[in-house]
Formats: sequence, structure tokens, C-alpha cells
Amino acid sequence: MTASVIRKQVRLPVSVAFGVVMQGIRIRLGRSIVTLMGVMLGIAFLMSILTGQTVRQGVGRETAARIELGRMMSFLTAEIGPVSERTLGVVAVGPLNDPERRLVARLRELGAAGLQWSGAVPAEYPAGWIKPVAAGEVGVGTAAVLVMGEGRVPGLDWGTVMTNAAEKVVATTRKALAVPAAGGMAVTSLEREWQPDEVEARELGARRLAFRTIWIIVISLLVTVIGIANAMLMSVTERFREIGTMKCLGALSAFIRQVFFIEASLLGVTGSVVGCLVGYGFAVLAYSLTYGFDLVGAALSMPQMAMHMLLCTVAGVVLSVVAAIYPAGVASRMMPADALRSTV
Amino acid sequence: MRVNKAQFEAMFPPGTEGGRRTIIRAVDVKKVYRMGAIETQALRGVTVDIYEGEYLSIMGPSGSGKSTLFNMIGGLAKPTAGKVYIDQVDIAQLDHNELAWLRCRKIGYVFQTYNLIRVMTCLENVMLPMSFAGLDSEEAREKAMYILKLVGLAHRPLHKPGELSGGQQQRCALARALANSPDIVLADEPTANLDQHTGEEMIELFATLRDELGVTIISATHDLKMLKRSDRILWIEDGQIVRAAHPKDVDFSSGDFH
Repeated sequence: MTASVIRKQVRLPVSVAFGVVMQGIRIRLGRSIVTLMGVMLGIAFLMSILTGQTVRQGVGRETAARIELGRMMSFLTAEIGPVSERTLGVVAVGPLNDPERRLVARLRELGAAGLQWSGAVPAEYPAGWIKPVAAGEVGVGTAAVLVMGEGRVPGLDWGTVMTNAAEKVVATTRKALAVPAAGGMAVTSLEREWQPDEVEARELGARRLAFRTIWIIVISLLVTVIGIANAMLMSVTERFREIGTMKCLGALSAFIRQVFFIEASLLGVTGSVVGCLVGYGFAVLAYSLTYGFDLVGAALSMPQMAMHMLLCTVAGVVLSVVAAIYPAGVASRMMPADALRSTV
Repeated sequence: MRVNKAQFEAMFPPGTEGGRRTIIRAVDVKKVYRMGAIETQALRGVTVDIYEGEYLSIMGPSGSGKSTLFNMIGGLAKPTAGKVYIDQVDIAQLDHNELAWLRCRKIGYVFQTYNLIRVMTCLENVMLPMSFAGLDSEEAREKAMYILKLVGLAHRPLHKPGELSGGQQQRCALARALANSPDIVLADEPTANLDQHTGEEMIELFATLRDELGVTIISATHDLKMLKRSDRILWIEDGQIVRAAHPKDVDFSSGDFH
């Protein structure tokens, strides 16, 4: 008589567990959809909050820029009167920023006859409207001279520039552009000066909003995790005998755990992708109805949306897997003898 | 785990019981369940030898410890005290991984409620233990088809359990139990959910498999026909074996066999 040898049970390739999962999802489609909906809703909520934040920030920036432009224009017209049919001089010391580009566009809209342009000419305006001139000749035949752009103010004879302009005005769009006052005439600045308490109030508001958003996100994700864990726990109970049977047939606890984790990640990926699209669509639609389509369209950016989608999908998968830890543990600790119980 | 051969041969002297090999030996097995402060003695010292190729039936009312003994013999639970040797290996010495190996290859299980995985076809159910044993799927498919033919289910391999009759499901379950050519088939009330005729067919199938493949068949049953067909009947009451007899020595017409 020879003594027998007991070996260790082999670990199966993941593909076997994957097959079991796919069949399980197909058959228990109802239960899988409930779990999927849990992930989907949580991620849709997260995505809509992130998108909403982007839209609100964008709309806020746009609104502020429009107000700022209106203010700059009213400063300018207070100095020189209406700009229509008049020529203005521009000294561009470097690349223009957004408010400056908006200002130039607005001058054209208001029917300014043209701009004498010293410096790099932006490509977006018709050549006839902008007349490039040498730096020293700016001012002759203009109502006023604007100094704008990112850079250092050139050492011109600013007194002559100022007197050449019909309204004797030189205005800068930025505080940083230091044009020396000449002949007792002051240089006008169009940029708004923010008071310290205004800055403080703005920052406090932003911090409060960020805190509230994070709080809402954390709570909603917790609810999602608990929802998924609950749905998966139900499915463990449902499969009590099946799991016990598999263990009787030689399945390892690790295999059972694997089945649940694969199922969770599959549902997580699918639910997240669908949730991202639903949340994005919902947020864009809701904000468009509030602020109007063009404003929301201007606020959205593709790279940021892609970043948010990636973030949400990763979050969805991580949450699903985290939610599966407890149910998978319960399932894998199940005794094979449970399969013999005739009532479950 | 390797068994100490010298120690083993001292315990299982060859040639005992008319040269039949002992495949399962339970020695003074006790099992205590603890539910909080309450202790329940499910088994109070059971000693039994089960021989290779035997057709053994275990009887007992519910709560007698029958299921506990059954689980112990099947490697599904470990005893609180005493020893259970399955094919000469003390199951208490095995870790969960080795137990899984044992359940996968040495023992086939047939359940009262069939317990087929309902999301899988008949063929996939039979192939499942083979994939747990590491067989590649081509080999497994071929072997599963052969076994299905053996149990008379070769004509419906791609049906789901829900599309099969009770008898067919139990045949499929038996085919699955035989998947890895086990030495032992453990059947828990295998005919309880079947009608008279189908039950008889099942019993014949068990007998045929025992005769042709030499597998040991252990069943918990109250089915008269099954009891009459078996080589030995054990009665369990209150956690102890109270009687063991060959069916020809039992008067089935009187009430005493209960």
C-alpha cells in the first residue's frame, strides 16, 4: 500500500474567472444593472459637479471680462468722447492679453476709423483698418494713444506723442506699463485697481465654495460606495449555494474573491463611462438653460473635459473595487458545506 | 503534504477486512458546534472504516449528526476531536489550499438540489471542476463529453440546467462529480427530488459506476430502493453510529430499519 500525496490546488488563470463573471452578468442582468446604476449615478453626480464648476468659473470669468471691458471703454470715452469715425494710435510693447484684444475688437465694433499700430500687428484684423507705423510717428492724426501689451515701455518722446494726439491723451491698459508723465499732463490708466478688502472677499468666497463642493462630493461618493457594497452583498447572498458548490468542486477562496473583484471593476468601468456622459450632458444642458448656450460653450474646454472624464472613470473603478472588498470577503469565507444546505 | 509511510502502515495494516483497502477512516470523531454560550455535540465519537469500491448508505433523522459526519467524510469540515483520514491523509493536517485540491480530485459531490451552476451549460458545468484542476479547455471538453455519454446525457450538452428535467439535471450533476475521476462520490439525498422512476434510473447509474469505475459511493438517503442496492447501511442517532448492517440482514417491511 502506498501513501498518497496531497498537492496544492493550482491557481487558475484570470481568464477562467473572467468567463464566470461574464456569464454571471449576462444571466443576472437585472441585478447587474442595479449595481451599474449605483456606479452610474454616483459618477454622473461627480461629473456634473466638476463640469458645473468649470462652467461657473468660465461664465464668471467671461462676465468679469465683459464688465471690465465696459469699464475700460467708459474710461476711454470719458477722456476722449465717442470713438466712431476716429483714428486711434496704439503702441503695442508685446503680445496682447485677453482684455486688450477685447478692447481692440470693441473699438472696431464701435466704428473707429482705424488704428495706427506700432509693434507686432495681430493677424485677426483687416490690413486696411490697422496701419502699421514706426514707433516715433505714433500720435499724428489720432484722437488718443493707447499703450498695451506684455513688455517694457519704449523710450519714446512721450510729450510729443501726447501733444500730437488730438485729445492730448495717452492711456495704458495695465498699471505695469509706466509711461512717464510729460508736460504736466497725466497718463490715464484703464486698468481697474482692486482694493485689498475686495480681493479678500473674493478669495473667501472661493474658499467657501471649494469646501462646500468637496463636502458634497465626499458625501455622494460615500453613499455610492455603500450602495454598490449593498447591491454586491445581496448578490453574494443570492449566490450562496453557487459559491459553496464551486468550493466543493475545488475552487480556492482566492478564485471566488477574484470573481467578485473582476465583476466590480467591469461594472465600475461601464458605469463610470456611462455616468460621465450622462453627468456631462446633464450639467451642460442645465447650465445652458440658465446662462445661455454661447456663454456655456465658451466656458467649456475639451482638454479639461477629458481630464474630468479620466478622473471620474478612475474614481468609479476605485469606488467599485473598494465597495467589493467586504462582499468578496464574505463570499470567499463561505464554507463549502453551505452548498449542501437545501434551504438558503 | 507527504504521509509518513511507516506510521501509516502501522495504522492501516494491509490485508485487513478481506484484503479490501480502506479509503476513508474516521477514528473517534467528535464535533462540537458553539453558538455563543451554547455547545451542541453533533458527533459524540464516531469510528468507521469505509472501503474502496463500497456502496455505503448513511441513515439518520435530521439533527442526528448525519450531515456533520457526511461533511467530515467529504473533507468539507474538520473534526473538533478525533481523526478523519481520506485516502490515508489526515484532513486536519491540510490547509485550505490542500483541502481544495482534495475536494477537486479525490471526491465528487452530488447534491439533493443538484446545485448546477445555472448560468452555465451542462457541458460547462462538467468542465468547471476540470478547469479548477488545471486541464486545458480542449482536453476538458473531450473528457466532459465522454462522461456525459457515460451518464446518458450526451444528447443535451449545450442546454442550461433550467432547460433540463430533474433526472437530467441530476445526471449532469453526477457527470460533474465524476469530472476529475474521483475515488469517492458523495451523494446527499440524490434521489429525494426525483420521481420514482427517475430515482431508480439514478440508483442503477450509481451501481453501474461503482461496478465499472470502482468508485466508492457514500450517500445519505432514506430511499428504500437505494438502501436495498447498497453494500452496507449505517444508522446514526444522537451523534453516534447505532447500527451497521448489510441490506439483506434488514427487514425493510417492518419499521425497525428506521
